[in-house]
Amino acid sequence: MHELSLVQNLFAQLEELLRQNNAKKILTVKVEIGPFAGVVTDSFEFAFDVMRDCEPWANGAQLILVTPPPRYQCLCGHIQERDKLEPGVCELCGDDFLTPVSGGNDIVLQQVEME
Amino acid sequence: MCDVCGCGSHDHDHSHSHSHDQNHDHTHDHDHNHKSKTVDVETSLFATNNALADTNREDFREDGIVAINLISSPGSGKTTLLEHTIDALRGEINIGVIEGDIETERDAERIRAKGVPTIQLTTGGACHLDAAMVHKGYRRLCKEEGGGDIQLLFIENVGNLVCPASFDIGEDERVVLVSVPEGPDKPAKYPKAFSSSQTFVITKCDLLPYFDFKCEDALHDAKKINPHLRTMELCSTSGEGMDAWLSYLRELVKKFAVTE
Repeated sequence: MHELSLVQNLFAQLEELLRQNNAKKILTVKVEIGPFAGVVTDSFEFAFDVMRDCEPWANGAQLILVTPPPRYQCLCGHIQERDKLEPGVCELCGDDFLTPVSGGNDIVLQQVEME
Repeated sequence: MCDVCGCGSHDHDHSHSHSHDQNHDHTHDHDHNHKSKTVDVETSLFATNNALADTNREDFREDGIVAINLISSPGSGKTTLLEHTIDALRGEINIGVIEGDIETERDAERIRAKGVPTIQLTTGGACHLDAAMVHKGYRRLCKEEGGGDIQLLFIENVGNLVCPASFDIGEDERVVLVSVPEGPDKPAKYPKAFSSSQTFVITKCDLLPYFDFKCEDALHDAKKINPHLRTMELCSTSGEGMDAWLSYLRELVKKFAVTE
């Protein structure tokens, strides 16, 4: 539900970048969403579409989402990547007590292409 | 190389294959049309909120206050826990409360009836409190009667286990609550609330005999997400388990008190 406020924050940053770079229009926006950021990527994309229609300078802008997979560490030290937010059991020792590898909580505006 | 867009230098000589039949020494407008420009940014979408959250934390430090962010689903007993906490610590620790809800002053009225400075923030639909709302709320709270003497500030977030977990509001401790009727699967289903908290409280423990809720299941899942999580089980109305909660609060107040 909070995806819209995050996208509003993104658009505030984009508007400022346009001003700083004397550009008129945003072409592409690359955003990395950490696996533990607590964000639904579909909602984020939807909010981006809604905001894009509100701002003439964002008209036609393309959103590129980078979504690294979640990583979990077992007590045995093994770190495994998963394709969903669920640690599963350790591929090495079979233990089920795996904790999320720290980081991956952030949403980062990485790169903007404008003209 | 042009360090703006990474293309070749703008005033370079170049050769190109061409199908025109002009001489090579012709002059033509050579607008490269390199209007598009790519900028590396690397800023967090939480940057504005986090900066303001740090400001809030500095304000709390300066005022000798410890701030606790209470996060849970609606109806897990946050306000009831606060009412009983205020009663138990009356005359010992000065408490202030910022209530966050989508609508109504109801929670603030309940807390005000206990005679402590209270501010209600109504988000008007927003699903979480952010650092800016808390900043304004704290300014208002300070102007309330007794607002200048607060030692322990509770910020009761909007009832929601999802969105509040993503927003630092400048708190010193984040406490996540789950009540027995909600079921023990909350930590597994809403990991962010548990990974970002310091303390996990199971409330309404007097109902354990009537629900299929094994505390150890909930605690096991929570510890998996956050091995450092402090855990407590209590019932606000019967007082069971409240001692551990109250000593935790006393320790926090001692830790963050202004040392003269």
